[in-house]
Amino acid sequence: MIEVHRVSKVYSVGPVKVPALREVSFRIAKGEFVVLTGASGAGKTTLLRLLYRDDLPSEGDIEVLGYDLVPMRRASVAALRRSIGVVFQDAKLLPVRTVYENVAFVLRVLGAPRREITERVFDALRTVGMSSRAQAYPAQLSQGEAQRAALARAIVRRPPLLLADEPTGNLDESMAAEIIEALKDIGSGGTTIVLATHQARLAAALKRRTLTLEAGQVVKDEG
Amino acid sequence: MAGFLIGEAFRDLRRAGRVAVSAIVLITLSLAALGGFWLVSSNLDRAVAQWRNRVRIVVYLKREPSSADLSALIERVRTTPGVAGISFVSKAEALRGLKQVLGKDASVVDQLPANPLPASLEVTPSAAAATPDGARELVARLAALPEADEVAGSADWVEQLSRWQRLLQTIGFGVGAVLGIAAILTVTTATTLVLHARRHETEIMRLVGASEVTIRLPLLLQGMMQGLAGAVLALAALVLTYSLVAPRLEPLVNLTLGLSRLVFFTPLGVTALLGAGTLLGGLGGWLARAGREP
Repeated sequence: MIEVHRVSKVYSVGPVKVPALREVSFRIAKGEFVVLTGASGAGKTTLLRLLYRDDLPSEGDIEVLGYDLVPMRRASVAALRRSIGVVFQDAKLLPVRTVYENVAFVLRVLGAPRREITERVFDALRTVGMSSRAQAYPAQLSQGEAQRAALARAIVRRPPLLLADEPTGNLDESMAAEIIEALKDIGSGGTTIVLATHQARLAAALKRRTLTLEAGQVVKDEG
Repeated sequence: MAGFLIGEAFRDLRRAGRVAVSAIVLITLSLAALGGFWLVSSNLDRAVAQWRNRVRIVVYLKREPSSADLSALIERVRTTPGVAGISFVSKAEALRGLKQVLGKDASVVDQLPANPLPASLEVTPSAAAATPDGARELVARLAALPEADEVAGSADWVEQLSRWQRLLQTIGFGVGAVLGIAAILTVTTATTLVLHARRHETEIMRLVGASEVTIRLPLLLQGMMQGLAGAVLALAALVLTYSLVAPRLEPLVNLTLGLSRLVFFTPLGVTALLGAGTLLGGLGGWLARAGREP
């Protein structure tokens, strides 16, 4: 499903080179729920961005869902992303569209038929417990609700891989628990999930395979 | 999918707001200028073509030929290079023509002791000889005829008219091009604003694997819509101006240029104008670039 081999990423800030990842290697099998943890700046977000090909590694190879990400053409990037759902710390909902429209937007962009859109959107909203808020605008949602709507948007295409970058970062404990429960539900359906979080307690409570990053290196792979 | 793309294009157009309105106004101005000059130029072109057909060279004869000599003379002139047609005007016919021209003063002619008008040959030059140089050469050839007393006629003034027509055409293209470039830049600015306003949508679209065509087509469409709106307005302005001005100008144009009526664009011309507007807008929309990915 995911194979990361000796991946390094160095950002250039003028003449200064800032290493974000160093020789990172791991494999994630289909259907696994993997937690990526580490302090802020450890390289979690960089690693996730490389996985959905938002950036390229400075060195090393990455294979995701059978795609070799380094020598990839633009058209293949689009094809890869159609198979990946991504959730961020900020929900990134479109403010002038309702929850329903935000989730449906993804399917409309990809040219899904109208009837299928309605069915799938409500299916995704039900999965995250948001079907009653379908007609609400983002400004009318709590942070937890906004994050669940973002989660619905990420899973509406039923992607085999879901990447979640600090989805509970802005939430209080009860809201974070709701998101985690929703993620577990999604994972139980066979979706491979990579959850990045700096919250060590949350990572420990999940009792899943955990990759710990420190200064751009995987220092622990346990569970 | 088409519904989504068109819906997004309308949404983008609304987002562009006043800048889109400026772009539409500029496209209207550029196409109205271009179309206006084009209309004047095409009517002048008709006048030039009409007058080219009317160019005549008159060979005044020393004496009126007998019917046998006339046939031989006509045959010789007909085979002269540059001659498309020929007609003989006898002394009597020339006098009748003069009387017609004089109208109510025609009786003056009756006071003359004898018909002073010469017989003549009216020669219609071929298209190649209806140019100033061609006409001059033909005049020289006809003047060499032993029967010719004097040869009159040239195509110089027709050429002068043609030069005016070309000048107007050039000015029209120049003004239209300058305004057209300004219009393209304004559409580009409007589209750049749209790009900024829809950056979150674009980010989501890229994230979920939308193709570049899906991302960029609404931008292109909203540019084309601005262009088409500008072209429709320009066309409306031209129709209005034509319907107001043409009836007042036609008598003058008839008198000076011999055109009985001023013509408007053909359906093909209307299509070209609308197409040009759509193209201008589309080009502006296409030129605005979104951020590229690695």
